[in-house]
Amino acid sequence: MAFNVTQAAKNGIAGVSAPLPKKDLADPIFRAVAFSAATLLLITLGGLLVSLVIGGWPALSTFGLGFFTSTTWNPATEVFGAAGPIVGTLLTAVIALAFALPIAICIAVFLTQFCPKIIAQPISTAIELLAGIPSIVYGMWGLFVFAPWFAKTIQLPLLLSVDPDSLWGKLFAGVPNGANILTASTILAIMILPYMAAVFRELFRSVPPQVREAAFGLGCTPFEVVSSVLIPYVQKGMIGVIMLGFGRALGETMAVTFIIGNAHGFPESLFASGSTLASTIANEFTEATGDLHTSALIALGLVLFMITFGVLAMARALLSSQRY
Amino acid sequence: MSDTETEFKSVITPPPADQIVLETRHLNFFYGTHQSLFDVSIPVKRNGITALIGPSGCGKSTLLRTMNRMYDLYPGQRAEGEILIDGENVIGPKIDVTALRAKVGMVFQKPTPFPMSIYDNVAFGVKLYHKKSKAEMDEVVETSLRRAALWDEVKDKLNKSGLSLSGGQQQRLCVARGIAVEPEILLLDEPASALDPISTAKLEDTLEELKRDITIIIVTHNLQQAARLSDYTGFMYLGKLIEFGPTETLFVNPKCEKTSDYIGGRFG
Repeated sequence: MAFNVTQAAKNGIAGVSAPLPKKDLADPIFRAVAFSAATLLLITLGGLLVSLVIGGWPALSTFGLGFFTSTTWNPATEVFGAAGPIVGTLLTAVIALAFALPIAICIAVFLTQFCPKIIAQPISTAIELLAGIPSIVYGMWGLFVFAPWFAKTIQLPLLLSVDPDSLWGKLFAGVPNGANILTASTILAIMILPYMAAVFRELFRSVPPQVREAAFGLGCTPFEVVSSVLIPYVQKGMIGVIMLGFGRALGETMAVTFIIGNAHGFPESLFASGSTLASTIANEFTEATGDLHTSALIALGLVLFMITFGVLAMARALLSSQRY
Repeated sequence: MSDTETEFKSVITPPPADQIVLETRHLNFFYGTHQSLFDVSIPVKRNGITALIGPSGCGKSTLLRTMNRMYDLYPGQRAEGEILIDGENVIGPKIDVTALRAKVGMVFQKPTPFPMSIYDNVAFGVKLYHKKSKAEMDEVVETSLRRAALWDEVKDKLNKSGLSLSGGQQQRLCVARGIAVEPEILLLDEPASALDPISTAKLEDTLEELKRDITIIIVTHNLQQAARLSDYTGFMYLGKLIEFGPTETLFVNPKCEKTSDYIGGRFG
C-alpha cells in the first residue's frame, strides 16, 4: 500500500490531528477568579480597619492623645486611657521573645546538628504537639499550676531577700500571687517556643550540606559553624520567624487573660499585675454597657491592629535591608 | 580476605619516596555496613597535582573525603587503615580534626561561598586561627585573591556579597578562601563540573600556579582535564585503586587493561 503523503500531511504526522484550539474563555475567567480572590482580601482588610476606626472614634475623639498616654482606665467614671495595656502588651511580648528566642535556636541547632537520629524524631514530635495545644489549656495550666508554684518558689523568696528600695527591689515588687507580667510572659514564651523551634529547624535543614561541610573543611568548630555560617545563612528567614512569633505574643488572648492579673494601671514592676490590649478586650466586652466603654475597647483593637501592622512593616524593612 | 580480593593488586608507580607528602595505606572505608573503598594505597607527591579518575561511584570522592576526615560529620561512616600526612596517621583517634582541616583544605563540586562579603569570605578561615591587624588581613585577602586569579575581577567590590558573583568566580573565591589559611594540601572534588569552559580554564590556570607551593589532589570526571593538569593520576574502579603512576605513562601507556578501556572510552 502506497503511503499517501498529502493525506498524511493533512492529518498531521503519523495521522495525529492538529492540536485542538484552546477554549478562549478559560484563561480570562481564571484570571478574574484569581484577581477577585486577591481583591477580596484587600477589601476585608480595609473594611476591618474602617469599622475599627468608626467604632473607636467616640473614645478617640473624647480623650484625644490622652487615650494613648493616660494610665487611668475606669469604666465606672467612663475615663479611658490605654497606656497600661499598650505597655503591658509590648512588655510581655518582648520578654516572651527574649526567653523563647535563644531556647528555640538552641533546640533547632541541637536537632539539626548534634542530635542522634533516634532522639530527633521524638523531640520533633513533642515540639509539634506543644505547638498544637490550644491556648486556653496553657492559660489554665498557667493559672492553676505555674502561677502558684512561681509565687511560692520564686516570687516570695525574692521579695523577702531583696531590699525593697533598691533597683532589684523595685523590679521585683508586687503581691506574690503569681498573676503578673513575668508569669504571663513566661507562658507566652512557652507558647511561641514550639512554633519558633519548628520553623528554625526547617530553616537549618534548608542549608545545603556542602555549605556546612565547607565551614567544617576550613577547620571550624561546631559552634563556629553554627554561629558564623549557618545562622547568617538563614538570617532572613529567622527575622521573619521572630516577627511572626512576636506578632503571636502580641495578640495572644486567652492564656494571658488567665494569668496577667488584669490590673489596668501602668505595670510598675515585673511582678506587678498588668493587662494587655487583647486581655482587656476579652475581659470587658461582655460587661461594656456604656457606648463610650465599648468604643474604648474597639479603639484598643485598633491600637493592637496598628502595633501588629507596625511589627510586620518593620520585618519587611529589616528584610530588605539585609545585604547577603 | 576472600580469594578474589587477594588476586587483585594495584599497579603503582610511586613518586620518589622523599617527595611523598600524603600516603594512604590499606585504606578501607565503610558507609555503615557497605564497604566502598578496598585496600587503597596511594602515594601523593608534594607540590604537584594528583588526579583521581574513574567512573561514577568508583570511590574517588570518598577517598578524597577521608583525607580531611569529612566523613567524621556523619555517624556510621568510618575508615580503616592508615592515612599518613608528613608521617602522621591522621585517621588515628588522637588527631585534632580542626587542625587537620586547616592543613588539608577542600573545595567542593558546587561553589559554597558563605553569606558574607567577598572580603569576609576570604578572611573567615584566617580569623579562626590568627589575630591579624586590618592591614595584615588586607594583605592576606589580596594575596589569596590574586593567587586564585580573582583579584582583578573583585578588587572594586570586596564588600559585595560573595553570593553575588558568577559561578566560576564563586568557585575561585572558594579556592581563595581555602588557600588563605595556607594549607599544605588542597582537595578539590570535581571543582569544574558546574563551570563553563572559560571559567574552567581560569580555574585550571589557578591550580597550575598554586601547585608550586601546595599539594593538590583533584577528583575529576574530565579525562582531558586530568591529562592536562596533573603530574600523577590514579584510576579507580569499584572502590579499588587499579593503577597509579605518572600521568603521561598512565594515559599513553597504561599497564592495566581496565585503565586502557576506561581511557579509551570503552566504558565509564
